[in-house]
Amino acid sequence: MTRFGDKAAEIEKMTGVRQRHWVDDDMTTADLCQRAAERLLDQLGWERDSVDAIFLVTQTPDFRLPATACALQGRLGLGQHALAFDVNLGCSGYPYGLWLAMTTIASGTARRVLLLAGDTISRTVDPEDRSTVMLFGDAGTATAVEADAEGAANFILGTDGTGERRLIIAGGAYRRSKDSAEGIGTNADALYMDGGAIFNFTLATVPKLVSATVERAGGAEVFDAFLFHQANAFMLRHLAKKSKLPSDRVPINIDRFGNTSSATIPLLMTTDIAERLTSTKTRLGMFGFGVGFSWGSVDIMVNPLACAETIYFAGLHE
Amino acid sequence: MSQFYEGMAEILDVDVTDIDPGYELGEAWDSLAIVSTIALIDEVYDRSVSPDALGQCTTVGEVEALATAAA
Repeated sequence: MTRFGDKAAEIEKMTGVRQRHWVDDDMTTADLCQRAAERLLDQLGWERDSVDAIFLVTQTPDFRLPATACALQGRLGLGQHALAFDVNLGCSGYPYGLWLAMTTIASGTARRVLLLAGDTISRTVDPEDRSTVMLFGDAGTATAVEADAEGAANFILGTDGTGERRLIIAGGAYRRSKDSAEGIGTNADALYMDGGAIFNFTLATVPKLVSATVERAGGAEVFDAFLFHQANAFMLRHLAKKSKLPSDRVPINIDRFGNTSSATIPLLMTTDIAERLTSTKTRLGMFGFGVGFSWGSVDIMVNPLACAETIYFAGLHE
Repeated sequence: MSQFYEGMAEILDVDVTDIDPGYELGEAWDSLAIVSTIALIDEVYDRSVSPDALGQCTTVGEVEALATAAA
């Protein structure tokens, strides 16, 4: 951080990131999610064979193919009846993952689903790009979703693909035309972020998303907490104010973890509101938004959780 | 002093009494300042301005004109 000089303090002031965790070179998103999943399954006492589906929401898979979720089925020792695939979404990914898990259960295809979400964005940033180096952290999460006759949630999901080039890693896949590299930074293999455009997208989209979610629920007062994708602290405070949400019900942990892509919302659940979630029935509003552009919200009542833990281990550094 | 000028003073890290339409944005006018200004304009005027257009501004007066002209 020191190489960015005085700018580092300004960036920290805006993003709110004081600390974040990055993986070592030999660790991947799959490793983080696997550790989280193993711990979760053990805490819940779920037999590995009882998991019917495993979904991994990530943009940093182990390989271009096969799907990392398939590999994780094997590494976790789940039964061969389990369906498994990856979902290529980032900041909006957790609401989509929950929608997918609950829809899969509602269809009768599965009774128990393991939803993994996370990224190791540290492996994609240009070390000289202060706007991304100082913002993103790494994290992998695991969420267990089980059929429940009373289980219900309301989702609002949306997409604006014209934002394709505003947050992009252009290299490493298959589009090779000359114009594909225009306007997306100098290093096609690194994450390019147009902060101003993303901020405008967020301002145009998220307050409407919050408003629609709250209206459908019958008012902001029915929610115990509003869990926003931790994009940056300045933006979060602005969004909460614009949406007229009580700041004491909008937890922020980006100061300790950075922007961890699809992991930010479940990471809030295992940090700032973990105690509440493990002791009380809690109604949550969740809001994911970003790369795509893609966005999604969830209005969900969560029964007391058997496990809401954050795990730190060797292979992660600050 | 207007809420807009107070916000600009905070973004440019100068005293609010220094801010007037002719104030030169200078080197402080970087991508962070521009994103902060997008939020300020959204808050004060409930309007969206393009980061590219803001990047072209050289004085506080030009930013204010952009903010108040934005549809």
